[in-house]
Amino acid sequence: MIDLIVIAISAIMFALLLVWWRWPAFRVWIEAPKYSMLRQERRFDDRNAARRTSFDL
Amino acid sequence: MTISSEQSVYREQQRNGQSAGELPSVEYSLIRAHVYASLATVLISASFGILVASKFNFPEFLGGHAWLTWGRLRYNHTQGIFFAWLGNAFLAFFYYAVPRLSNRPVLSRKLGWFLFCIWNFAVVLPGWVLVAAGFSQPLEWAEFPLVVDAFVVLAFILMVFEFVLPFLRARASDLYVSAWYIIGGIIFTMLAYPVGNFVPELVPGARGAAFSGLWIHDAVGLYVTPFAVAIAYYVIPATTRRPIYSHFLSMVGFWVLFFTYPLNGTHHYVYSAIPMAAQKGAIVASVYLGMAVILVVTNQLLSLRGNSGTASKDVPLRFVWFGVVSYLVVSLQGSVQALMPVNRFIHFTDWVIGHSHLAMIGFASFIALGGIAHLWQRIPGTRYNERLMNWSFWLLAVGLTLMITDLTIAGLVEGQVWNSSAPWIDSVRAVGSYWLVRTLSGLPILAGFLLFWASLVTGPRLSEALTSATSRVTSEDIAAFEDAPAASHELIPTRWLSNAHVIAFGAGVGFFALSFLVLAILPGKELADEIKRAAPVTMPTLTASEQRGRVIYGREGCAYCHTEQVRFLAADVRRFGAPTEAWETKYDYPQLWGTRRIGPDLSREFNLHSQDWQLTHLFDPRLVVRDSVMPPYPWLFEGSANQPTQEGLDVLAYLQSLGRARELSGFDRQAMASNDTSSMSDMAMASEPSAEATPPTVPIAMIGGYSPSAPLLHPASDPNDLREEVSRGGILFAANCVSCHGPGGRGDGRASASLLPKPANLTAAQFSDERLSSVLWNGISGSSMPPWRQFAAEDLRALVAYIRSLNVPRAPSAASETATLDQGKAFFAAFCGSCHGSSGAGNGPTAGVLAPPPTNFHLKRPTEERAWEVLENGVPGTAMPPWKDQLSDDQRHALVEFVCSLYGTPQENSGQ
Repeated sequence: MIDLIVIAISAIMFALLLVWWRWPAFRVWIEAPKYSMLRQERRFDDRNAARRTSFDL
Repeated sequence: MTISSEQSVYREQQRNGQSAGELPSVEYSLIRAHVYASLATVLISASFGILVASKFNFPEFLGGHAWLTWGRLRYNHTQGIFFAWLGNAFLAFFYYAVPRLSNRPVLSRKLGWFLFCIWNFAVVLPGWVLVAAGFSQPLEWAEFPLVVDAFVVLAFILMVFEFVLPFLRARASDLYVSAWYIIGGIIFTMLAYPVGNFVPELVPGARGAAFSGLWIHDAVGLYVTPFAVAIAYYVIPATTRRPIYSHFLSMVGFWVLFFTYPLNGTHHYVYSAIPMAAQKGAIVASVYLGMAVILVVTNQLLSLRGNSGTASKDVPLRFVWFGVVSYLVVSLQGSVQALMPVNRFIHFTDWVIGHSHLAMIGFASFIALGGIAHLWQRIPGTRYNERLMNWSFWLLAVGLTLMITDLTIAGLVEGQVWNSSAPWIDSVRAVGSYWLVRTLSGLPILAGFLLFWASLVTGPRLSEALTSATSRVTSEDIAAFEDAPAASHELIPTRWLSNAHVIAFGAGVGFFALSFLVLAILPGKELADEIKRAAPVTMPTLTASEQRGRVIYGREGCAYCHTEQVRFLAADVRRFGAPTEAWETKYDYPQLWGTRRIGPDLSREFNLHSQDWQLTHLFDPRLVVRDSVMPPYPWLFEGSANQPTQEGLDVLAYLQSLGRARELSGFDRQAMASNDTSSMSDMAMASEPSAEATPPTVPIAMIGGYSPSAPLLHPASDPNDLREEVSRGGILFAANCVSCHGPGGRGDGRASASLLPKPANLTAAQFSDERLSSVLWNGISGSSMPPWRQFAAEDLRALVAYIRSLNVPRAPSAASETATLDQGKAFFAAFCGSCHGSSGAGNGPTAGVLAPPPTNFHLKRPTEERAWEVLENGVPGTAMPPWKDQLSDDQRHALVEFVCSLYGTPQENSGQ
């Protein structure tokens, strides 16, 4: 049981780190969501700001 | 954004009925509804918690009402926090975040309102009412009854449609980590909930406990944690306007968490009868989980780098920061707790209660509060009072810190007492003041929640609030991510990675299935084989009355203070008897092992206490145990301890069945004769250094029975030492014996009214050291006198010294005439010998079947007044009848003279 867990987690971690280290495109790809999330957040804020402006007018 | 991804978004928007560039709608009315529901219910749930805590110091408080008894309030406290508060808070966040993260609206507004009604009016409200009315399930984090569980599962299925479907068309590169946590949490909870709530009803005892253990941890790991971490990962960048430190690390953390969390469950049953391989697997997974959380928290805290000013000024972000730090502390604490050397000491103590409060308040609730405060400022038409919000934070932070510190120390104190030879009740006495502080620490927490609510309904309206919030974000902050790389799908040429989320999702379900296979199904099969091999063929099942009593026992939450598992630890075995084997639980649907000990373990209750004692204890525990904090159960009686209802009798029957199968089956005698001990017990006991050095003082399967090996306790012969012993014995007597024997030892304690036979009047007889030693060691069968062998030998010796001091032997009266003594001897042989034996040693032909056993007058000399009284009236509750109608005054006088002359004379073969 212990061996299974240790081997499985170690294999997952090793595989992920290997891909991250050997494949620059992967690094860009995997980091993309953190930027798209902020863009989306800003779009919503802009919409709310527009609504607020019209409300204030 | 690249051209291809722009086109893709456009096509998706067309399919969803949105025009290009149009943002999906957000269901603000549903957010408001869930926020209000969460805050209303957190106040109710926290109030339940304060009532529960206060009952440790004031057990009679609201104790006369079944609906407000400790057990039912405790169920409603934890289920309220779990479903009502956190559930509504998470749902509010989903309605806010899912449209933003998926760029699509939630599936349906109508479905949303239906889900709101299901959650609050088919789960929370009926759950509370049913539990209070006595319909519950005595399983940790699964206390709402099965009918409510069905609606919980329905709600999670609806959540899949409402919140997961909008993500289905998204590519992996579009899915921010919060989305992963939301999807994972909903899917996996939907899978885990039925297993944790329904399976233990179908799989008994130790095998069911394996499943329960998984759910205990899945409830935190697959429901609370993913949603709280999703909020943290959302609020941090949304407030600081900077991307998180590493999305790669966040995804590594996500998958390691989802892999290791389900594997942790069995660490709640370390040193139990569950196969050791499963226990150790869970321990290793717990350590890995701690490392994974370090990764997650490091990533989140690095995401705040350079924003310490924002974190200190922005109260919602400060809530989240506090929650993230608590997450780290509580997770590392959890990893350490799972380790066997720590677990054996702190498990079942208040340390664990502190741990769970740190998880549910410090981690989950603080982040949920931060999430609500964050989104509230972005909802049109709402109010926001930053000053009150700031007060709310500090009240909650101070109250929680005090509570955790207090409970942690209390747990260490309890562990210390439990590992000593002190009686169990000493651990209750030792932490009384800590329980009071814990109750008081709940007040600022409750006030903090109240102010949090107030901060959302007072203060300036939205436009000013948003202006205030955005004014702190500089244009440089916004520009920081404008030039960042766009979602570059073309950078990943292989189809494999484009569909990585599908593969990863499949892997996640696989992890989940794996956890049930390796920690529940395989150990369950092993247990089933062991039960088949070891269970005696004559093992009795519960009678109908005992079965009903078991249901009532579960209904009143007894299993939340009394475990029914003696662990394979020397400290447990010394105190409670033989470790609980899996076969003993083969008829337990559902298992009642418990994860907390406020009162002692009850696995070996059979023959330990008399019926009168049990009933008196249930009616009012403090009648027999002065410092008990157990709640009274007057609704199981019709006005007095002597008048139990059928339910009271059922509970009594169940309590007296605990350990019966072990005792009557001869299991231990066979095991000892064949020297066959399981490898499980060898492994666990051998790992405890003290196991060899301190063998159990409670012989296996003999806890309530007579043991001729009672040590002979002689008080000190030196007068000064004797005075000291008497003084110490007096203190022990006052703390442990006066409830029955009364403050003067006259047998007139508060409990005496409902006990038969009455507690002994210790001033009305002279006892030999041998007699007192035997009684203190073995108790008196057929009476309410329990064995006190858990006391250290010096304490028992002090009690012997004190009890002997209660009766000052009178100067011998005029020498009894030989003729009278001869006459008395003849009468004794004729009328008393069949029970007391012809020589008065309590060993007559019928003595063996009498309980309590007849008095051995060589070891106990009653005063003449007491002997006369007994001959006149008999001893109610024993086989001793009144003799005043059968014997004349002269005959009885001769008998009194005779029995009082026997003390200290040689005996042929004494009984007890």
